[in-house]
This record gives sequence, C-alpha cells and structure tokens, in this order.
Amino acid sequence: DPTLYTPVLSSLSLGGLTTTSTFVLDQPRCIFPDTLSDAVIWLVVAVPQGAAGFNNTLQPGSPERAYQLFPDSTSAYMTLNTTLLNYPCPKADGEIAVLRVGSETSCQRDNTRPTCNGPLPGPGPYRVKFVAWDNSGPVAETKWSDSISLKTATPWNNIPTTDRGHSAAMIALTSILTILFATLLAGLVAMLVCWGSDACGGSSTFSKPEAVTVQRYNTHHVYDHPPARL
Amino acid sequence: MAKSDGGIRILQGLLVFGNVVIGMCGIALTAECIFFVSDPHGLYPLLEATENDDIYAAAWIGIFVGFALFVLSILGIVGVMKSNKTLLLVYIILMLITYAFEMASCITAATHRDFLTPNLFLKQMLERYKKSEPDNNNDKWMIDGVTDTWDKIMVQNQCCGVHGPSDWQEYMSAFRATHNDADYPWPHNCCVLDNQGSPTNLDGCKLGVPGYYNSNGCYDAISGPVNTQAWGVAWFGFAILCWTFFVLLGTMFFWSRIDY
Repeated sequence: DPTLYTPVLSSLSLGGLTTTSTFVLDQPRCIFPDTLSDAVIWLVVAVPQGAAGFNNTLQPGSPERAYQLFPDSTSAYMTLNTTLLNYPCPKADGEIAVLRVGSETSCQRDNTRPTCNGPLPGPGPYRVKFVAWDNSGPVAETKWSDSISLKTATPWNNIPTTDRGHSAAMIALTSILTILFATLLAGLVAMLVCWGSDACGGSSTFSKPEAVTVQRYNTHHVYDHPPARL
Repeated sequence: MAKSDGGIRILQGLLVFGNVVIGMCGIALTAECIFFVSDPHGLYPLLEATENDDIYAAAWIGIFVGFALFVLSILGIVGVMKSNKTLLLVYIILMLITYAFEMASCITAATHRDFLTPNLFLKQMLERYKKSEPDNNNDKWMIDGVTDTWDKIMVQNQCCGVHGPSDWQEYMSAFRATHNDADYPWPHNCCVLDNQGSPTNLDGCKLGVPGYYNSNGCYDAISGPVNTQAWGVAWFGFAILCWTFFVLLGTMFFWSRIDY
C-alpha cells in the first residue's frame, strides 16, 4: 500500500549518496499495486514548507510545478516520470535500483522542459514523495520523506596549512649536528693555536732519532810506565 | 719509542680506513641524490607549486657534497700516509667546509619535510587543478604542472583527491567553477578507466558505486616517495657526518702529533 511507504535515501554504500546538488533515492519497488500499471509515477521534490501545504491536484508539467521556477516561484516540482514497468517487482538480486535526483543538466534552463530532473539549487533541506497519476488525476501517493540535506562546500581559503609542528626527529638531528660541528671548529682553532705557538707536541712526538753519543771507555789503562826496575 | 710508534701506526691505519669509508659513502650519497633529483615518481610539480621544493635543493647539495667527500677522502689518505702537515691542514679545512654544506642539506631536508602536510596538498589541488583562468605565466605553468601530475597520480594509483573523493564535495575548488557538480561530482580521472582512458561506467562513477570509482585518497601515494626522499637525504647525510666527525677528530689529533 503506497500510503504506508516513506521514500528514503538509498541504503547502498554510495560515494555520491548526497552531493552538493544531487541525491540518490531508493526506487519504489513493490510499492504501487499492479492495478496501477497504466498510471505514471512522478517524483515530487519540495521544500519543507511546500510539503506542508502541498496541493496534489496540480498537474505535473504545469507552470506551478515547473523545475525551472523552483524554489523561487513554486515550492515543489515534479519530475522523473515513469510507469510501473521500470519498477519491476520483485527486485532482481544485485541490481542497483536507485534514482539519482538532479542528474539532468542539459534542460536546467530550458523552460520548455518543466519536468526536467535538474540539479537541486541549494543544500536544502528537501522532502520528496511519489505520486501516481492517470487520466483522471492523482490515484495514489506515498508519504513524505524525512528532510534530506545536501552537502555544503566550504571555501578552500579556510584550510589551515600552518599547523605544522617540527618533528622531534628534525630537532634532534639539528642539535646533534650543530654540536658536532661546533666541536670540530673548536678542534680546528686549537690546532691553529698549536701551530702558531709551537707549544704542542708533548713528550710523545715522533721525530727523527737523536744523535747517539757513544762514550768511550778505556778498558785498558795505558800509563806512561817509568822504565821498569831491573 | 717503539710502543708510541706502533700507536701512531694504528692511528694512521684507522684514519686511512675512515677515509676509505667516507669516500665510498660520498659516492653513495651522490648516487642517492641523483636518483631523487631525477624524480622517478613525477611529484616535483606538486612541490614546485607549493613553493616549498627545498627538499630538492637539499638533494642537489647532496650530489656535490658526495663528490667532494670522495675527492677529499683521497686527499686525506695521501696526507695521512705521508704524514704531511700542510696536506692534512688543507684536508681538514676543506672537509669542514664540506661538512657545513652537508649539514645545511640535512637540516633543510628534515625541516621542509615537516611542511608537507595533507592540508598543504589539498589546498593546492583545490586551488590549481584544472583552473581555467591563470593569473600570469607562472600561474599557468603551475596549473599545468598540478593538473597533469594529479591526473597521472589518480590514474596510476587508483586514488582520488587527498583524503578521498569527498574532498571535491566538501570544499569549493577551481575545478568546481568550470565543472558542475551534477555532471562531475569528482574529476573523471577518479573513475575506473578502461584502456582508452574513458570511464568504464560513467553513471556508476557519478553515483559512487564501489568498483566504478576510486574511493581512497592519494595522500599515501604522494607522501610515501616524498618522505623517503627527505629522510633518505637527511638521515644518510647525518650518518656520514657522524662518521666524518670521528675521522676529523682523529686527523686533528694525528696532525698535532706530527713533527717537521
């Protein structure tokens, strides 16, 4: 029974479920009875105030229900007309049964196409319902959906790029390198001071061997003997 | 005498070994930095557009420092083996100059790596990707670089945006100014493309059906190579400098023990 059905955003995990100007609904499968197979099923998109005072006798395609005048001059428009043939029951397994509201951009400003499924003009919120029409007028309708809000885009200037800190690794690297370099410079200065004043060296420098002095020992004492006594 | 002579010989041997290691590391540093500068991942235009491409400057310095280290290590080996005070003094001074340059390279690479946050790439992507009205020639150059690079990254890595396709929905962009949201919730390069480069299922891509569009973000694909480069230059350079520190200290000590 259609009057018990509430249109709802698709339950599939879709990346584009709501964008800034479109949204994706579940198709109303197995909602409308087969007796309505000759009727045309329309989607009504309205702002919340339009849902409250909705007059369902206004014909789809009439100026009061034109997409191009929404939301300034009219509080609801009707689009996505199709017959029950396109909503077969039961739904086949693995079939993606969705309706993308807002996908037709070619007729967006074409006043000869008041039933255009054009992009939504703002972030909403919006409420939708399905209505079945035949030659005598509206014959069945669903409940209104909950409010559907679309995404809002923020300007890129607001993105903060200055919240970068300095990582600990970088600080450690910088300080260690600075200390090492300072030590080397100190060493260089010490070297040059050494060189200039010639005071370094110490006792363990290696250099040419010293001249060896050899002491002669007279092992045999040769005296001037007086002539031997006879 | 014999003992201290032996000690000096050991020091000489260690210094020669230290210089050999420095020479080899210098060659390795040059090779590593040439590899980074050649930009195998094609990410340089993104860094150029952020006006933050100093990790490339660090890599360029690394090339010349590596070569200088190699040449100076040869000079050092000759000086140590001949125990020549003048040669070693020249060696020490030139090594200190090279040391200073390599320090600059390491610190630059490490510091500028910290600038490259996701938000930086996000802002630049939103500002420049497929921007239709360049302000001047420089802007046009950057726009072309950013657009071509992002197109290539998104196709090669099967990703979209910095955090994901939601980037194109949550923020305004130069792309959005010329491509309306209903037809292009995200760029078509975020769709799964066939061999000819067109989306396999454009409606599925626009709906965001898993399998027809790239749902993950490109930040990992960008930051991975950039981080490798920055840390490769910074940490390898740091390791070389630590080793060089000890070799230079040893050389200074050796120098002060030589007599004419």
